[in-house]
Amino acid sequence: MGRRRRRRRVDPADAARALPEAIAALSQTLPAGPSPETFRRAKFDRPEAAPAFWRLLFCVLSPQLPDGASASFSPEAQVRSVKLALRTQGYPRRALAQLPDDGSQGGRELLLALAWLLAREPLPERLLAQNRVQLGDEMHVCECEALASPGPPAPSVEADGCVDIRHLQWLMGKLRFRWRNLMASQQEQCALLGKIHSYTRGCHSDRSLGHLSVTETELLRDPEGGRQLLRRLQRENARLQAALEWRRRELVFWQWMMSVCPVTTLPSSWGGPDFSGALAFRKPGLCASLASRPTGDTVLDACPPEASQPTFLPRIPTPAAGALEPLVRELQALQGELREAVEARRAAWEAGVGGRGPEWSAARTALREAVGQDLAALRRACERGGSLAQPHGPRRLVRTEAGAPRGPGLRAPEVIEALRSREARLEVVLRRLQGQCRQELARLVGALPGLVWILPPGR
Amino acid sequence: MLLAGSSRRLVAELRDALDSCAERQRQLERSLRVSRRLLRAWEPAETLAPEPTPGPETNEEAPSAACAPSPQDLKELELLTQALEKAVRVRKGLSKAGEGDAPSLKSGSIATSPATRASAPPSTSRRAGSRASETEPPRGIRQTRVPAKDLPERRLLSVGDQACMGQRAGATKPESGLRNEQIVLSAASQAPEAFTLKDKGILLQLPEAFRKASSRNSRLWAQLSSTQTSDSVDAATTAKMQFLQKMQTTSGWPGSRLSATEVEAEVRHLQKACLLLRLRMGEELTADPKDWMQEYRCLLTLEELQAIVGQCLHRLRELCTAVVEQQLGPWPEGRFPRASLPCGGEADPTWSPQLLLYSSTQELQTLASLRLRVAMLHQQIHLEKVLMAELLPLVSKQEPLGPPWLALCRAVHSLLCEGGQRFLTILREDKPAD
Repeated sequence: MGRRRRRRRVDPADAARALPEAIAALSQTLPAGPSPETFRRAKFDRPEAAPAFWRLLFCVLSPQLPDGASASFSPEAQVRSVKLALRTQGYPRRALAQLPDDGSQGGRELLLALAWLLAREPLPERLLAQNRVQLGDEMHVCECEALASPGPPAPSVEADGCVDIRHLQWLMGKLRFRWRNLMASQQEQCALLGKIHSYTRGCHSDRSLGHLSVTETELLRDPEGGRQLLRRLQRENARLQAALEWRRRELVFWQWMMSVCPVTTLPSSWGGPDFSGALAFRKPGLCASLASRPTGDTVLDACPPEASQPTFLPRIPTPAAGALEPLVRELQALQGELREAVEARRAAWEAGVGGRGPEWSAARTALREAVGQDLAALRRACERGGSLAQPHGPRRLVRTEAGAPRGPGLRAPEVIEALRSREARLEVVLRRLQGQCRQELARLVGALPGLVWILPPGR
Repeated sequence: MLLAGSSRRLVAELRDALDSCAERQRQLERSLRVSRRLLRAWEPAETLAPEPTPGPETNEEAPSAACAPSPQDLKELELLTQALEKAVRVRKGLSKAGEGDAPSLKSGSIATSPATRASAPPSTSRRAGSRASETEPPRGIRQTRVPAKDLPERRLLSVGDQACMGQRAGATKPESGLRNEQIVLSAASQAPEAFTLKDKGILLQLPEAFRKASSRNSRLWAQLSSTQTSDSVDAATTAKMQFLQKMQTTSGWPGSRLSATEVEAEVRHLQKACLLLRLRMGEELTADPKDWMQEYRCLLTLEELQAIVGQCLHRLRELCTAVVEQQLGPWPEGRFPRASLPCGGEADPTWSPQLLLYSSTQELQTLASLRLRVAMLHQQIHLEKVLMAELLPLVSKQEPLGPPWLALCRAVHSLLCEGGQRFLTILREDKPAD
């Protein structure tokens, strides 16, 4: 009895402390985090809270910048950058864009924006992982960064106008040369890594690793650098600890944020949003010509509410739809190729021998099922939000003896196998594309009389 | 030979490819510099500021297994100490005997020691790692004769003596992370003994503070990954969803809109899907069906692929519509910051890197070169598609069929069909004069 009374007496004090502690953990794990007092002021939209939050959002939304580089951006530039980044990510409230550029106002809106970012994804963890202190020698096993080239080309190209095709040939040659250099350098680096790993075997305190990495050996060679590394590591540990604290205590923060949110002012007919990002807004009979580049003043003025307000954002011509064109063409080309192949084979099949008789239908359903299962993984990977279960991300290289017992971790021979098969399939694709070009060119020039085309000797 | 308009895109794409290559090369060069420096002889540390590592006294208490002197090393040390003591005795005896012999012996020793010192780094390092041989004690004596008077003051037999290379006798011992018994020999010889990873790397040990920080780091990362899947997270998740919902209702827009980031993520996803489908199609088309069952199976597979491509195209058209309607843009920064989007589009379950085990340098080199090869093929395929799109219309459009056009055809053929590496030859048949 007395115990319960005691607990009830302690609870309010605990509850009062829980929120500031949660916020303190949050601001410790984020870069440039303001104090809990600043958070409280932001809720009431006090002007002194705004600059701290603009700075915080700037650091959070542009994590590629090294620590301290944010100081080189003027406050106005930071404000504009934050607005753009939030708009790009789909921040739902328009009030943010209406805040003044000098960064003097908007504490509450920025607090909401921060909470919105935190709610959508594990932001502290992601930021920590991006700027992680790398202690080992790492190699990526996936090729996600290999797809860096597709995408809208950078607009910062000199307006040359006309270019000689020989210039293109020269560029291609230069590219080949760079790749050869890259291969050679990579081989050398692997040889050196192998040596370093084998010379330092048995030196690591962690038995599963066994040997030192380049970073660790370097810190032994250069004590000053080692001290800096140690400091960075300790800072990261502090932030990791704070992130764990945050995870434990964040519930009370979310309860508080519900009180920060303004009361809804819109008609209730617009309630019930759908978070899967599905497109809820579709005009029937819309035939947006995909080949044309839409500018700001197309007939597709979408949102009525926006039209009633003066445009608060600079009307930038959006090349966005144009950027999707190449992919549309590619998929259409692929579809065309498949259609041709299917028609040809079906015609051959119909004209051919197989496929008649009573036992045929049973065999057909069995085959259909088998193919369905075969392609199930591929189908899943192509659907929205799907992906192939391939090893991802960077991996720390560890040298082991050939006959060592199987520990945790991916083994090089398996990765080599996977890469070899991937290489073979990519080569097939490349050959096919080149073959198509050959056919097309032959068609274009074939009609000309009086010329003999001698192809280069095959490989 | 001149190309108009579309050439800008071609040049831009090629420049992009060249830039990404150059960037990789720069990173590799940086790593190479560091690795090469590590494998050379290490320079002695300039700053001798005390580190937060434990002093020499505590080293002796807890040497790691790798640093514990092997019986072989102890034996060598024994032999050396005996030789040195004998040298001291002989020297005392000599000086007592008279001046005459001492200079000759001294000069003899001085004459030999530079010679041996000149070859000191390789020879001592070889000696350090090699078995005890008969030649060792005499060489040891000759080399240590010069600073022999300093020897009784030093603690030769202390394991883990912190004598660093390049130290003059009598100087203070700097603290470093190296525990190296063999360096006792080199300090005694007063030669600037170079530390090479090859010979003494196995004796290295990480400083205590670093080890603690590093193990705490991996522990914290592991904890962070595991809390993602605990139950107490569910209450927080519900609260977050409620908050997002409330944010949505107070927004200025009805329904939910796609953000530019989401569209971009889906487009990348569809690009990957397109490549996967194309790879699979390539497999099916090059496969050689042996019987009617395989033939039919191939047909069914192609039909299924066709259906999937149709769905992807449908989704892409929806995205285009969304982009146009919502006037999304500008496209963020032109080039998407790779770092901000996690691999594969979904969050990594483990935030810190896992291991990749290899067993020989050959294996590592094969792995790395295959990775580069795959990346190069990706790039080549992309460039091939871009070139096809821009160059083929060019060939068909140009009407004048004179020599410039032939030259263009030849160049286009080489770029598109041979990767720019080989050229075809065009011969013109001359009509015989009548």
